[in-house]
Amino acid sequence: MSLTEGILCSKSHEYLLEKDGKYIIGLTDYAIEQLGDIVFLELPDIGAEFVKGEVFATIESVKAASEIYMPISGKIVDINEAVVDNPEILNESPYEKGWLVKVESETAHIDSIDLLEYEDYKEEIA
Amino acid sequence: MTKKTFLHDEQVKLGARMIEFAGWMMPVSYSSIIDEHTTVRENVGLFDVSHMGEVYVYGNDSLAFLNKLVPQEISKLITSKAVYCQLLNKQGGIIDDLIIYKIEDEKYLLIVNASRIDEDLNWMVRNSLGFDVKIDNQSHNYSLLALQGPRALDLMDKMGLKKENQPEFFSIKRAEIFNINLFVSRTGYTGEDGFEILVKNEFSELLWNYIIEAGKEFNLKPIGLGARDTLRLEAALHLYGNDMDEITTPIEAGLAWSVSKDKTADYNGKEVIKKQLENGGEKKLVALKMLERAIPRHEYEIFYNNKKVGIISSGGVSPVLNENIALGYVKNIKEICLGSIVQVKIREKLYKAEIVKKPFVQKKNKETQK
Repeated sequence: MSLTEGILCSKSHEYLLEKDGKYIIGLTDYAIEQLGDIVFLELPDIGAEFVKGEVFATIESVKAASEIYMPISGKIVDINEAVVDNPEILNESPYEKGWLVKVESETAHIDSIDLLEYEDYKEEIA
Repeated sequence: MTKKTFLHDEQVKLGARMIEFAGWMMPVSYSSIIDEHTTVRENVGLFDVSHMGEVYVYGNDSLAFLNKLVPQEISKLITSKAVYCQLLNKQGGIIDDLIIYKIEDEKYLLIVNASRIDEDLNWMVRNSLGFDVKIDNQSHNYSLLALQGPRALDLMDKMGLKKENQPEFFSIKRAEIFNINLFVSRTGYTGEDGFEILVKNEFSELLWNYIIEAGKEFNLKPIGLGARDTLRLEAALHLYGNDMDEITTPIEAGLAWSVSKDKTADYNGKEVIKKQLENGGEKKLVALKMLERAIPRHEYEIFYNNKKVGIISSGGVSPVLNENIALGYVKNIKEICLGSIVQVKIREKLYKAEIVKKPFVQKKNKETQK
């Protein structure tokens, strides 16, 4: 199975993957490549709630700081502490080890209407 | 229109990611900024810095003319030597920072920032009234390559400019490499030993490819502007537009070491500089090391005892120290000094930082300009 199978992507380069009733959010390989060496990541607290489009995290590469937006509305139920400690994991494995947060969402099916399947996303950004 | 250097296509072939900088398409990175940074600190890196400006000043009054423009004593500069200077306005503010090379009597070469060429030329022309001097902008005819890192000298030796013939620190000489006539100077913007090579545009591609080939056994890599920025920040070298501008004097910018204290000739801004040499200016440049995990960036605010006292001028990651570092300006008060703890506001939160000594990273075989 391809790493990007079943994922949905936003035009601001977040990906969304449904698993066991929760939603995994991360950054696409394209975003990671554009950022370059990632050196710092700030994630929200567990329990925090965000609406779609809101900034929920900040990522910094050597070059600059960038904001990460919620692709859907929801409540943070888990964060990836390992990538906070070692942000370079993102450069190595954006889809497996490099996920950012897990979210519970009531409205994901509506919120994700404007998200793109990976192949379409690649085409869109190319 | 965005300009391209004569090495543009060669760099794209090597995988460079190009961005616009100061009106030029320039490589920001080839592999990764950290990898390129480490290459320059440990081996040797090759930079295309052809966007920089080259201006010749010659004529009977060239020395007197230059002496009016900068706070450095140019009459002490001997042939083949170079000096780091600032072009000052009447208020002592920095129009640009530059290196002046004495090529021969009554002939000087000025290497200036790409973003400031027009301002520099305007200012020089305005100041040239009454001087028998010719200001000759040759930027469009020259490419500039920088070869930087601890193995640069060995590589240069291998390329035919033997160590005993290499220019000394802050010197320049004419040389021939691979049958190409060029100028080689022992200067740079990385905090490492190395050279800058000035070559006519028509030979730059040939030279670039020769160096890439000859550099293989020295683990040479091409380096982009991203690593150029992290390297110069670790060395606490200023970037015009970030750490210097027209309302900042060299004294405020922490460049008093470069100013000739006993210069008798008049120069633009002399009154202000003389006064500030004694008491300092309104603000002062400080070096900061973050004590908490957060990255300071250009224009973030600096606080002391919960009051805003200044602003970050350049900040980022130090790949060598694996710490977050910055240069910034604070009010010139004596409470803020080496060892003081200040705070930097990053995304609405305050993070502790310590005022530390410059540079952040020291060259292994330290040489000074004097």
